[in-house]
Order: sequence, then C-alpha cells, then structure tokens
Amino acid sequence: MMKAPHELREIAGWMAATDIGFLELRMPGATVRLGRCGDEVVTLDDGQRHDESPVAHRPGATKRSGPPLDTVTSASVGVFLHAHPCATAPFARAGARVQAGQTLGLLRIGVLLLPVATARAGTVAALRVEDGATVGYGAALVDLHPL
Amino acid sequence: MIEILSNAALATVQDLGRLGSLRFGVGTAGAMDDLALAAGNLLLGNEAGAAGIEIPVFPFKVRFAEDCVFALTGADCGAKLDAEPLLPWWSHRARAGQVLTLGLPQGAQRASRAVLCLPGGIDVPEVLGSRSTQMRGAFGGHEGRALRKGDVLRAADPKRACRTGFGLVPPALALPLQLDGLVALRVLPGAEYLGFEAASREAFWAGEWRITAQSDRYGYRLSGAALRPVAPMELRSHGIVPGVIQVPHSGQPIIQMRDAQPSGGYPKFGTVIEADLWRLGQAPIGSRIRFIETNWDEAVAALEQKEAWLAKVARMVALQRSGPMGVAA
Repeated sequence: MMKAPHELREIAGWMAATDIGFLELRMPGATVRLGRCGDEVVTLDDGQRHDESPVAHRPGATKRSGPPLDTVTSASVGVFLHAHPCATAPFARAGARVQAGQTLGLLRIGVLLLPVATARAGTVAALRVEDGATVGYGAALVDLHPL
Repeated sequence: MIEILSNAALATVQDLGRLGSLRFGVGTAGAMDDLALAAGNLLLGNEAGAAGIEIPVFPFKVRFAEDCVFALTGADCGAKLDAEPLLPWWSHRARAGQVLTLGLPQGAQRASRAVLCLPGGIDVPEVLGSRSTQMRGAFGGHEGRALRKGDVLRAADPKRACRTGFGLVPPALALPLQLDGLVALRVLPGAEYLGFEAASREAFWAGEWRITAQSDRYGYRLSGAALRPVAPMELRSHGIVPGVIQVPHSGQPIIQMRDAQPSGGYPKFGTVIEADLWRLGQAPIGSRIRFIETNWDEAVAALEQKEAWLAKVARMVALQRSGPMGVAA
C-alpha cells in the first residue's frame, strides 16, 4: 500500500534525526527512495538512484571546515566493526595512511561479514561510528583526508 | 590446481565423513571440524559436504598453479597470499603462481585446525560414498594418505566465477559454549556410567581435563582425576562411534575422534554429543576442557541449532553472492 504524504513526511523526519543517508521503501506497486540533500531529506526519483557499490563516496559530506573529506558510508544496515571478531587490532586508526581498496572495518549482517573499503587512497581523519554500533544504509563510517 | 610446498605433516583431504559403512568395519573419518568445512564450502557456493583440506600442522604452504578462488575457515593461522595478509573465515582469490602460507594458529580463542576449500571441492575419487581419507585402511582422500610436499590437487570446478571478499562470524563466537572460561562439551552418560564410583562421576563433571600430546584424529587422551570403576569391568568388543568416552584401566579417559576404529572393549563413561565434536576437534593439545551433562532432547536440540546456523550461512551467502549490494569481485 502506498504511503500517504504525511506518513512519508514523518519517515523523512525520523531519517533527518539520524545519520542515515539513503532509505528505500519497497511496497506492493510502489517504491519510494528518500535521500539526504544538505540538511533536507528529499524524495529521489530513479534517475538519482545512488550507486549500489558497497562504498558510496561523497566528497565533502561533512560540515567541517578545511579541505573536503572523503566519507566512506555503509552499504547496508548492519553492525560496524573496527576489527575482525578474531582480532583485537583495528583495521584503521586515525592518522593512518590507507590505499585504495583497503579494508577500514567490517559490516556484520547476521552471520555475514562484509568489508568496508575505501575506493581512494587517503589518511584516516576519523572513525565516525563506535565499534559494535548498529548503522543504517548510507551511514557515514569513516572520514578520510584525500591524498 | 594447487601444489603442496611444505612438508604437510598430517594434512588430509576430508569431507563430512564416510557414513553407512561402520557395519563393514569402516570408520567414518571426515573433518574434525565439520562446521568449518561446511562453512568454507558454502562461502564458495559448494555443497556443504564437498571435500576440503584439513591442516593440523604449520606452517603449511601451497602454490596456486592457476587463478582460483578459495575459502579459509577453522583455525586463524595468520594466513598470507604472497605477502598480503588474509582474513580468517573468508573467501579469497588467488592468481596463478601465488603462494598461500598458513602460520601458527593465533588469537585469544586459539583453534588447532585450518580448513582450505576450493571451488567444487577437492577433486579426488569417491570411495564408499565419501572422499575422506581413511588412514587406517589407506584409501579415500588423496591416494589414501596424508598430503606430502609435491602433491598436486585439483579443484573440481576450478574456473568457477565466484564473488569473494566476504566472510563469516566464526561459530566459536556465534555458537559459544564455555564453562569457567574453558571450552565445554556436552556429554550423554554412557552404558557403563553407573559402573563408576560416585566420587569419580562427580569429579568428571566438576573437574578440568587436559588434552594430552597423545591426541590426534584417532582419539584424544585426557588427563585429570582418575575415574575409578566400582568393580573391574570386562566387556566384549562392541561398536563405538566418534565421541564415545572410554575409560581404560588407568582411569584416564580417551575420547574417540573421527578416525576411531569402529569397535572397542573399554567401558564407556559417556559420549560427547555429535553437535559438539567440532569444538573438541579444534581444542589444541595442552588445552583444558570441561564437560557438561546433557540428555537426549538437549543433544538433538544442539544438533538442530548447529544445522540452523549452517542454513543461515547458506541463505546469507547465497544472497551475498547474487545480490546487488555484493562486493564485485
């Protein structure tokens, strides 16, 4: 059943209060995609659909001053892990140089572990989410200073 | 194709075991950690029971003769592909000529056996319905023996296009069972359980047991407080299966493992339930374990829990291998 406009506004309001960057609702006969545009949450049409690769890069996604940061975001709802569950050393620490393709953390989805990797080389500015925190689709996970 | 580069002492080809031949006097063999083997296979889209390589001694080295995907499960051995560190419980991709090295097991929950799976399984002939190495009978697996330096093994489906670069939460973390910080195993009291002194029975459940150096795929010899029978028991040889805990005259128990012979005559104190044999299969020599008394219903529920975990792995891996959110490999 299609959501009424006031319901969509309510969902957009919840979304604005989180760090979720993209939300897709699939209903019989209709699909609604909500995305972030600055501080606003807007409805996206198909043409604006976000890249489905696990790492959607959005330079300058943060509001800090200085040169824009690369932000690595979450490809799915899951639990962000700084280290492999068998290990104690984190994949990345603030200040570390990382190469394109390098794993910066893991996303745990039930029994599954998926890598959270950077598409570009850089220096880790900050891990945006605590180890073991549940994150939503599109959540900002790691900020990088691009090289 | 892979070539074994190290002196691969005691590494063997194993599947989930040669079931249904005990009546011919043929033991089951099969992976000591059946969850690791099944999960490694599922990561590659294999049947859960395809044959893999079980590796108990390190370092272990193989060279990939051609591009090939593979999965590593079981003990976290700080694996490297050439110089690149690899994650444990993960699917990977090797290029022709690359060398995979497994070092000593590491980590807080140190396990003892690594499992290497290849696409389609290790291509060895099926004998009596299984590809497991039957060491006692010298058949099955690769030429009926442990692997040696220079051996060349083939994957059954070497060219499989396969999404890699993802992994699983290891079952030691997903299905933990510990007592006072030690690996614990659930045990059904055996036929001769009541033939042991009450104090021995109590000590069995309350005490810690060390896995001695006389432990291998045939059986684990434990050391702890000796288990004393009320009166000496003399039994005719009878059928036994992996998991059976026998008590010889010394009072130090022996747990039959996957390569156990199918009959024995020592009194049976109990049986480690099938669902927990993988935990024992991963317990290193020198480590200490505990026992928890269980019953039939709990043993069946434990088996169902293990199967449910594997079903979840199969479902999630299938989604990941086909879904749009997957990592393009």
